[in-house]
Amino acid sequence: MERFAFFPGCLVPARYPAMEFAIRQSLLKLGIEIVDLEGTSCCPDPIYFKSKDKLSWLSVAARNLCLAEKTGVDLFTNCSGCTATLSEAWHLLHEDEELREKVNRRLAKIGMEWKGTSKVRHIATLVRDFVGYEKISETVVRPLDGLQVAIHYGCHLLKPSNIMKVDDPNDPSMMEDLVRALGADPVRHRKWYLCCGKACTDEDLPSNMMRDLLTTVRDEQAELLCLICPTCFGQFDHGQMRIAKLFEEDFSTPPVYYFQLLALAQGEPYENLGFERQRFKPECLKRFEIQEPVEEATS
Amino acid sequence: MAAEKGRAAKGGAAKGTASKGGKADIVHVDFAFKRELAEKIEGNLASFCYQCGACVGDCPAATYTDDFNPRMIMLKVLYGLGEELIGSESLLWECTNCYNCAERCPQDVKPVEVIISMKNMMADRGIYPEGVEKVINTFETTGRTVPMSSAVDKQRARFGLPPLPPVPMEEIQALIGPAPATGEE
Ligand code: SF4
Ligand code: SF4
Repeated sequence: MERFAFFPGCLVPARYPAMEFAIRQSLLKLGIEIVDLEGTSCCPDPIYFKSKDKLSWLSVAARNLCLAEKTGVDLFTNCSGCTATLSEAWHLLHEDEELREKVNRRLAKIGMEWKGTSKVRHIATLVRDFVGYEKISETVVRPLDGLQVAIHYGCHLLKPSNIMKVDDPNDPSMMEDLVRALGADPVRHRKWYLCCGKACTDEDLPSNMMRDLLTTVRDEQAELLCLICPTCFGQFDHGQMRIAKLFEEDFSTPPVYYFQLLALAQGEPYENLGFERQRFKPECLKRFEIQEPVEEATS
Repeated sequence: MAAEKGRAAKGGAAKGTASKGGKADIVHVDFAFKRELAEKIEGNLASFCYQCGACVGDCPAATYTDDFNPRMIMLKVLYGLGEELIGSESLLWECTNCYNCAERCPQDVKPVEVIISMKNMMADRGIYPEGVEKVINTFETTGRTVPMSSAVDKQRARFGLPPLPPVPMEEIQALIGPAPATGEE
């Protein structure tokens, strides 16, 4: 079994534990062993804390990387924001010797040193590269035949591409392939490349952008919007409701985190996956529930 | 393009720098601003900007607002007019951090990183939008952006997950303090 250290971040374990549950269930079935890390903090977030002081941001990120190094395996994240911070930190520390020394001087205060022995991956690339689409398909017991799934890549899985090196940022295909591996049909809407807008503190800008994006998703008549980041998820769940009210339009495409979709396709019952807590519930998924064999009545 | 013109006019009006005609063509570059910015991680990258505008077309903040334009922002940095960018009503917070500008720039300028470095300068001056400061405070006091609570642990238990472990805050504080303004590393 391949082993990887799990960097949970803040949002998934605290706000969306159903996503963590799904990750743990599905990785097990894919033959990946999770090594839990002790003492992790926020990555720290690449928007707010990074805006205060990049050097402190980098130092805390380096500490999280050191925790993974202690386990001797590579690390994976479940959030595109954590991926952005930890990948960029790894890259900066690797490229810039002076910066590395500065950060290691800070880390020395807590008895740590960044060496660069644990690499960083987003969980989506982890399953693509270490399991593969075919093997993912083999674990599917409820193929999501005919399900129309719009895709939201978000920004930080792909960009900056010279650091992420994950897929073509102008024409990516990995999420389509991941969705296809479950038997579903990926749908690329016209504004697929837009950002969820969460990081922007302006009010009108994200609302207008989100409205454009949701309009093209609706035009494609997708049943779901699949994504791989809890921040994007919040924007498309609570946020979508807000946009629908604001513009008085019918936007109601349920967002679903890819690993919950995977867990369902692998046989996890719908009601175990926490969907009832979403503003927009993906009830279309109920049609894939396996009829449990009815027990013979022994009267 | 119309929006670009609008912003250019706005930029030109500010402080009357770089205006057309006569002596007013002279631009006084404020090197102090650039030097302070260059102290920040990747803050010096604007120096390599040759004003091609490749960063503008796919910038969502430029598309969806009338006043944000990464090329113009880099120009102000080149002129050392950054103080105009880092006031309490700073337009830099319109940036969505999407990294499209960094993807497009032929000069590896990474406008988004230069913008974040300017936000660091704002923080040194104690200027934050309210919501931003709140998230930073939550992180600095709890080590997380979503703090632990019994409600969180109850939700986790529903999925058979253990309670959230505490973050060793003394370690985090040793790494982030003291304030960067003191110049201490
Ligand atoms: S990251 Fe760059 S392209 Fe994206 S909004 Fe900010 S300035 Fe514009
Ligand atoms: S793409 Fe790069 S070089 Fe061109 S204007 Fe933007 S920052 Fe300057």
